[in-house]
Amino acid sequence: MISPVKIWRNQKKVASLVGKTGKIVAFTLIRVPPADFSNQAPYPVAVIALDDGDKVIAQLVDWNESSLKTGQKVQTVIRKIFETGDGVIPYGIKVKPV
Amino acid sequence: MNVSVIGAATTKFGELWGVSPRTLAREATEGALADAGITKKHVQALFVANMLAGPLGNQQHLGPFFAEELSLNVPAFTIEGACASGGLAVHAAVASIRSGQYDTVVVLGVEKMTDHKPEDVATALMAAGSDEERLSGATFPGLYAMLARAHMEQFGTTGEELAAVAVKNHFHANLNEKAQFHTLLTIDQVMKSSKIADPLTLLECSPISDGASAVILSSKKKNVEIIASEVATDTLGVAQRKSLTQLAATQEAAKRAYQKAGVEPKDVDVVEVHDCFTIAEILAMEDLGFFKKGKAAAAIAIGETTLGKTKRFVVNPSGGLKGCGHPVGATGIKQIVEIVQQLRGVVGKRQVTGAKIGLAHNVGGSGATAVVHILKI
Repeated sequence: MISPVKIWRNQKKVASLVGKTGKIVAFTLIRVPPADFSNQAPYPVAVIALDDGDKVIAQLVDWNESSLKTGQKVQTVIRKIFETGDGVIPYGIKVKPV
Repeated sequence: MNVSVIGAATTKFGELWGVSPRTLAREATEGALADAGITKKHVQALFVANMLAGPLGNQQHLGPFFAEELSLNVPAFTIEGACASGGLAVHAAVASIRSGQYDTVVVLGVEKMTDHKPEDVATALMAAGSDEERLSGATFPGLYAMLARAHMEQFGTTGEELAAVAVKNHFHANLNEKAQFHTLLTIDQVMKSSKIADPLTLLECSPISDGASAVILSSKKKNVEIIASEVATDTLGVAQRKSLTQLAATQEAAKRAYQKAGVEPKDVDVVEVHDCFTIAEILAMEDLGFFKKGKAAAAIAIGETTLGKTKRFVVNPSGGLKGCGHPVGATGIKQIVEIVQQLRGVVGKRQVTGAKIGLAHNVGGSGATAVVHILKI
């Protein structure tokens, strides 16, 4: 379980990343996930070069086969990270194709 | 001042359900002491390399834990650097001898992974990554899969070439009685095994393993010497790196190691590299300066680093992480054990004839830590 204090402290960073655009520079499709993500697999994870010059790693949501490619434009959005039924539900940054 | 490796031993690697970490540690350490021809009373310090005893076994404070088990009433330290824990512990031990503090030390790497569920092990291993990586749902196969994808897109590296790394390392492992796998693979089998994180398949990933390895280091000159021990670091997360087709930490550690040792890549006869995934060996071959960027994959695929085929040098004669197994804390020490035994000429069927200079390359995380050791006889 992630500490609620840590989730709260992380909110500033999450807020600073919302609504940014960028593009995929590398991606994979996770088929064997960590325990907390087991009800989400398979799902893509990508390295994103944001238009402001930063780089982030994030899960890709609202995707289909044709959006799984390098150069794909994406936008950062707030999503539930995972829900395990145990403790606080963390929300954070994921990306969706645009 | 060069430090000598006077004793080296490793346990069998594999799914060792009937064996505890204590037993593994004792077997490796007593084997190394016997190999060195010394007794416990000569040992002045113990360095323990381990990553997962805390998160998986709720046991830390491993210095005294193993010192007690080994009846070594000496200063004892735990070194953690993810999958580079072993290489880092050797580096710390070398530095402790060079400083003049100790003359004879034991470096023990031990890991017990198969007692736990694979998803719990995968979660624990992600402690080596960044917070952002954990929240993205990435796994280590996933992070290396992205490096593989980037390499394929930039240099035209193929799935067959990636698979050839696993085929070679299983061929070598089949000649190593201590290896986890004694199964020969084909390119087709590797490529058709289930996908873990595209494009990497199950048989392109090193396994979850149990095992321990130990070396005895000494200030006294004896046949095998460590002529360079270098460590470099990079960003914890893979996304923040300048390039996804190189591990800059490996390049930096290697550059300094060659300089300190006064050798060049072409002088090296036998190499153990950190092939946690097939792409990792290709990156290592390039970043260590053995091949130009984009050229290693094809060279490995035609046997330029395979025992019995190569005219130049052999890479991962132990079977590497893929074939020999990857008990994470033990791996970096096992690499040193393999190089020492290769230089002494005592490994039988997998012997690299006339090997005089060997290199060991150990990586933590997705390349945040890299350790390079060069040894000579």
